[in-house]
Amino acid sequence: MSPEFIEAQKNMKPGVISSVGFLGDDERDLAQIIQEDELLMSQLQLDFDEVARWMERIMDEAVKGLGEPMIVEGKWEVQIYEARGFIPCPFKDGIFRKRVALVRNLQNNAKISFSDLSIHLLKKHHFLQGRGSPFRIEPEQLKKLLD
Amino acid sequence: MRVLVEPLIVSLISFLLALIIVIVDAVVNNYGEVKITINKKKTMTVKGGVPLLFTLASQGVFIPSACGGRGSCGVCKVKVLSDVGPYLPTEFAYISKEQMKENVRLSCQVKVKKDIEIEIPEELLYAKKFQAVVEKINNVTYDIKELTLKLIEPKTIDFRAGQYVQLSIPPYGKINEVTQRAYSISSPPSENEHIQLLIRLVPGGAATTYVHNYMKEGEKVQFTGPFGEFYVRETNAVMICVAGGSGMAPLRSLIIDLYQKNVEREIWYFFGARAMKDLFYVDFFMELEKKWKNFHFIPALSSPDPQDEWNGEIGLITDVLDKYLKSKIDLSKPKEGYLCGSPGMINACVQVMKNNGIAEEKIYFDKFA
Repeated sequence: MSPEFIEAQKNMKPGVISSVGFLGDDERDLAQIIQEDELLMSQLQLDFDEVARWMERIMDEAVKGLGEPMIVEGKWEVQIYEARGFIPCPFKDGIFRKRVALVRNLQNNAKISFSDLSIHLLKKHHFLQGRGSPFRIEPEQLKKLLD
Repeated sequence: MRVLVEPLIVSLISFLLALIIVIVDAVVNNYGEVKITINKKKTMTVKGGVPLLFTLASQGVFIPSACGGRGSCGVCKVKVLSDVGPYLPTEFAYISKEQMKENVRLSCQVKVKKDIEIEIPEELLYAKKFQAVVEKINNVTYDIKELTLKLIEPKTIDFRAGQYVQLSIPPYGKINEVTQRAYSISSPPSENEHIQLLIRLVPGGAATTYVHNYMKEGEKVQFTGPFGEFYVRETNAVMICVAGGSGMAPLRSLIIDLYQKNVEREIWYFFGARAMKDLFYVDFFMELEKKWKNFHFIPALSSPDPQDEWNGEIGLITDVLDKYLKSKIDLSKPKEGYLCGSPGMINACVQVMKNNGIAEEKIYFDKFA
């Protein structure tokens, strides 16, 4: 892995940036996680930039609910949760509010939660977090949510 | 023989190298005793070489920190009046240009290597570490728990209604270290042998997951505090209070405190929720409204369920607030805003209040940020 990835992977361990870390119980290294998720996203015909734009739109709508659930485009129920403080990106290229959107597809009940940092990690680094991480964006679940 | 000697030599060399590192570290990084002067009136002698945040904590001065000193929350800011070297890359993201001019630093990132002078809010000098026991855990909604903590040592707490504490969450599951999170006190200062906190489950949240899924009655916990500058200003202005969800906590403490002190000011309390299942303490505040003529409680539901049979206000709390400010609250009286909730909710409410003639400097809030 590149020195940047080695450093980021260290920052993703529990207790460095966040208590739970970003890798869950995934035993793959950062580069493998990203490569395999890129492949999965591609197989599911999900484009990282398009997904990021959708997530940003959902987050903007969720904010309007002032903490209460909102229905977006008649398809998703979204609710925003905010906590005190900020969280930096493990790649050290940004700092984000601790803001989490919980999204549920009203038709099939698929759910995903993501933070401002999750959007950045997906958009900029194609990193969906390790398996078992509470903020892991599972591509299959994402596909179901977007259907 | 060679099989035994070679590993022994390697081990010996490793041991000597480690010893040299330990000795060099002790000599080079031995800063001896240094002095920290706080607000020009309190000086403490401490062992140098440790981050300011932890050094202060070891002396009983607790600076709020949401990440426990990892340099990831940007909360533990202090003004350093001495030269402690240039800003570290880890600080840049959290310190504004204006704060840099005032030499505001992240106390978890600045190591105390020589005598230094700092300025902190006066109230932080009175914050303490408390041992308590979880006396009761009560579900006030499906996603908000009310914790009652009985103080063990010290046995009582002095705080101003509206302030918060930092609760320490022990390691659990995959989390192998103590996590600290800030929660407003929802009980009034008069009940000083225990405190109550309202904790809403945040998806993926380390501390809230613990409280909701692991914490048990009878468990011992630690917290530090009190902290915060969200408290009632002593004027006669009409108080316009707005909260949603667990933002209820500091306002409940403020309102009960004012009631217990027989304050004559007019108080309006707007509480927003989505449906009946998200409302709580409604009976309590409605009873209070009946016996306290200055107090008006306006719960509002943005999207009541059909079975709720809701006859109260309907709409986002900002819309209900706007309606009351325009038509039901005396326009001629001076007003102050008291808000608690997410930054999004606070920003929206501040805008409504400003549009209705409440000066921005008269709007006080506890933003979760």
